[in-house]
Amino acid sequence: MALPWAVNVRAANSPAGQSHTDSPLPKDPGAESYAKRCAICHGDLREGNLPGFPPLLGISHRMSNDKIADLIHVGKGRMPGFPAVKDTELSELLHFLTTGESATTAAGISASGSTLSQAGAQLFQQNCAFCHGRDAMGGETGPDLTQSRLVRKDRTGDEIAKVIHEGRPDNKMPAFNFSEQETRGVIAFIRERQAEAVAHPGGRRGVSVEDLQTGNAAAGRRYFEGAGGCSNCHSPTGDLAGIASRHEGLELEQRMLYPENVKSAVKVTLPSGQTIAGTLAYRDEFTVALRDANGVYRSWPVKRVRYKVDAPVEAHVDLFPKYTDDDIHNLMAYLQTLR
Amino acid sequence: MKLVNDRSLSLLAGLFLCICPALTAGAQGVDDALLLHPKADSWPSYHGDYTGQRHVGFTQITPQNVSDLSLSWVFQTNQQAQIKSSPLLVDGILYFTVPEHIWAVDARSGHMIWHYHRPSPKGDHIGHRGVAIYKGWVYTTTPDCHLISLDAKDGKVRWDKLIADVDKGYWTTMAPLIVKDHVITGVSGDLDNLTGYIRSFDPESGSVQWQWNATPKAGTPNATTGGMTWITGTYDPELNLLYWGTGNPTPVLNGHTRPGDNLYTCAIVALNPDTGKLAWGFSASPHDTHDWDAVEIPVLVDGTFHGKQHKMLMQASRNGYFFVLDRTNGKSLLTVPFGPVNWATGIDKDGRPIPDPNKEPAPDGRIIAPDEGGLTNYRSPSFDPKTGLFIVDAHPSWSIYFAKPADGAYGWAGADYGVWGKGIIEAIDYQTGKIRWSHELGDGGSGAGVMTTASGLTVTGDAHGNMLILDTSNGKTLWHAGTGAGIQSSPISYELDGRQYIVNSSGGLLFAWALPEGRIHAKGR
Repeated sequence: MALPWAVNVRAANSPAGQSHTDSPLPKDPGAESYAKRCAICHGDLREGNLPGFPPLLGISHRMSNDKIADLIHVGKGRMPGFPAVKDTELSELLHFLTTGESATTAAGISASGSTLSQAGAQLFQQNCAFCHGRDAMGGETGPDLTQSRLVRKDRTGDEIAKVIHEGRPDNKMPAFNFSEQETRGVIAFIRERQAEAVAHPGGRRGVSVEDLQTGNAAAGRRYFEGAGGCSNCHSPTGDLAGIASRHEGLELEQRMLYPENVKSAVKVTLPSGQTIAGTLAYRDEFTVALRDANGVYRSWPVKRVRYKVDAPVEAHVDLFPKYTDDDIHNLMAYLQTLR
Repeated sequence: MKLVNDRSLSLLAGLFLCICPALTAGAQGVDDALLLHPKADSWPSYHGDYTGQRHVGFTQITPQNVSDLSLSWVFQTNQQAQIKSSPLLVDGILYFTVPEHIWAVDARSGHMIWHYHRPSPKGDHIGHRGVAIYKGWVYTTTPDCHLISLDAKDGKVRWDKLIADVDKGYWTTMAPLIVKDHVITGVSGDLDNLTGYIRSFDPESGSVQWQWNATPKAGTPNATTGGMTWITGTYDPELNLLYWGTGNPTPVLNGHTRPGDNLYTCAIVALNPDTGKLAWGFSASPHDTHDWDAVEIPVLVDGTFHGKQHKMLMQASRNGYFFVLDRTNGKSLLTVPFGPVNWATGIDKDGRPIPDPNKEPAPDGRIIAPDEGGLTNYRSPSFDPKTGLFIVDAHPSWSIYFAKPADGAYGWAGADYGVWGKGIIEAIDYQTGKIRWSHELGDGGSGAGVMTTASGLTVTGDAHGNMLILDTSNGKTLWHAGTGAGIQSSPISYELDGRQYIVNSSGGLLFAWALPEGRIHAKGR
C-alpha cells in the first residue's frame, strides 16, 4: 500500500550534512528579541500577516513608546502579553520597532502612480492595512475605503484628513499623527485604490461587505418574526433600529450570531432568605459572583446559596443547530435594511 | 497491551500487576523492557506507555480519600510560556519542557537538578510537548526543527540533528517516540504549502533511518500538501506497527487545487517502525477544508467489540467524530459524532465521514460545527478499561468559514471565525459511541487533558483553571483546586516510596499532588 512518494531515506542520505547552517544570531539585540517573540505573528520583516496580524512597520506613527511597551506587557485580543520583556530587552525591542526599513517590498501592493501616492502606500501598509486591507478594500474590522461614502464625496480630501487625524473613537479607529504631506500621500493612495477598484470590480480578498449580500431580506424578515424567534427579544424599531448604520459586514454578522460581552443578570438567595440581584461577574461550578447595583463585587460558594441566572443571550446558542446557511444570509439581508 | 473485558475484572486485576510498584536499587534507565512494561515509579514516554490510554493502575488515591489530596510541591519555570508538555519520570527525575527549555526536577521534592536553554530565534514557539528518554539519553525537538540528544544526568548536549528546514516554514513541538532503536519525530507547519512527514533517527548516532511522507512533493499537480505529524503516536509491539495521526491539507480552507481525498492528510496511519513503510491509512476527514488535523491520540485497546475480541484503535478526532478501528488492518468498527457536527452528509461504507460540498468555506460564509479548534484537540483523552469509557475534553462550538478565489491557494487561503464554544468532559461508551455522562467545564473551553486511575478517578481541568478530579463512574466532582491559570497539558501519575503522586501543570507551573504522608496506609493491592 506504500505510495510512490513514501521514500526510504537511509543513513547515507542523512540531511544533517545538507546545506543547513545554524544562522548566526542577529547583531541587533532588539531584532533578536523581535525574531524570538514577535516575528511568528508579525512577520520576519515586521510586515504583518493580514488579516490576522497587523504590520508593525511604522508603528511609531500610531503609538507612543509607552503605549507599545504597555501592549507588549499586557497583550491585546489574541495577542499574548510578554511581561518578561523589560529593562534592557524592552528598550532594545522598542528601539528596533520604532526604527528601520519601510514596507514597500513586503506590502504586496505597490503604488504605481505618483511619488506622493507611493509614499502614501508605505504609510498605508504600515498603519492602515491591518483594518482596511492591503488594498484598502476592507480587512478584518475596517470598512472598504474604495466604497466609502465619505471617500467618494470628499472632493478636497479634507474630510478624509480629519478622520485620519482625529480617528473615530466610536468605531475603534485610532487617530494618526501624520504630517500634512504624509496625510496627502495616504489620501492619494486611497484615491488610486479607489480608481483601481472601479476599473476592476470583484476580486477582493477577505470578507467584504459585498460578499454578505446574497440573502433575501423578505425571507429574513419572516425568519426574524417566525422560526428564528428573534422578535421575542429584539425589535426593528427598538433595539435594532439603525443597526445597519452602526455595524456592517462581518462585524454585523458576528454580532448577529453571538453578541460578545453581553451581561447576564443573576439573583442570589442567601441562607437567610435575603436576595441580592446584580450582573453576573463570575461563575464556575464552585463559586458564583455578581456586581451589585453599586458596582460592588460579591461572591459565594455555590453550595451555600441558591442562584438564578437570566442569560437571554443563550437564545443565540439555541439557534446554531437550527440555522441553514440561507437563514443566516437572509437574516443578514434583513438586518441590513435596518438603517 | 492491556485488555478490556467488562465481565472479567479479576483478569484485569491480574494484568495491572505488570505496573505495580517495584522498589529499584539504583538507576534503572529506560530500556525496551521498561517502555513495554512501565513500572509504577516511572512514566517513561509521552503517553506513559505505548497504548496512549493514559490510564494508571494505582489505587492509593480513591474516590473515598481524594478529599484529603494536598499539594506536595510546585515547580516554577519563571517563563512566560505555558507548559504544554507531558513530563517523563525516570529514576525519580521528571523531565519536561517549554519551547527552548528543558528541566530535570526531583519528583519527590520539586528541586531542580538541571535546566537547559537553547535559544531558537527562528521557528514557531506555539508550544512544546516534551522529551523522550532512552538508555540515559534525553531526546527533544526545537522550534527551529532540530532533534537534540542530551545526557539525562546533566543536560549536556551529545548531538544536534536536523528534522526539517525552518526557513521553509516548518517548526517542531512534539515529544519524540522511542520504539526499539528508533527515535521517531514529526513536524509542524501549515502556514505554507509543505509536505508533512515522519522521520526516524538512530538513537546513538542521530543518523536518519527512514522518512515517511504524508503527501507528495509541493508543486505536484492536483495534489495536496500538508499532513503535519505534530503529536506523538502509539505503538503495538505484537503487530510491530506504529500509529500516527496526520494534520490538515494545504492550502487549508481552499480545496479546489487539491481534488479527492487528499491522502494522507487528516488521517490515521499505521507504519512499520523499522522501515517507515505504510501498512494502512484511514482518512478521518477526506478532503478537509476546515483545518481539522487528525493528530489526536490514536488510543490502542485490546478487548471485545460487540462480543468479538479485537485489537482496536480509538480516536476522538478534531473533526467531531469518534472512530473505532481494527488496528490490524485499519477497517472501521464504529464512526459516530461526539458533539455537534454539521459538515458531513453521512458516513461511507468504510466508516469515513462524507464531506458536504455545501459546507466548504464560501464567499458568503458557511456556519460550521465544530470550530477550527475542533471538537477536541491535542491534549490526551483517557481510556478506562473497567468501565469501557473513552473520556475526552470536548469543545462543542460553532463558527463561520469563508473562502473565495481572491484568497488564493497558498497557506490559509480563506478566513474563519469562531462564533461560540464551551468545554465539556464526555465519557463515551466505545461500543456504541453513546455519551454515558458529561461534565460541563465552562464557556470557551478547557485545555486540560484527561487521565484515569484504576481506583475510579478521572483527572482533568475546567475552563477557569480549576484542576478537577471526577468520579469515573458518573462524572461528579470529587475534588478541585484553582490553579491560577488555564491548564494546557495532560496529567500523569506515578508512585515513589509507596506514595502516589498526580502531576499536572497550569501556566508556567508544575504541581505535584499526593495524600498527606500520615494518611497513607500501607495497603496490599
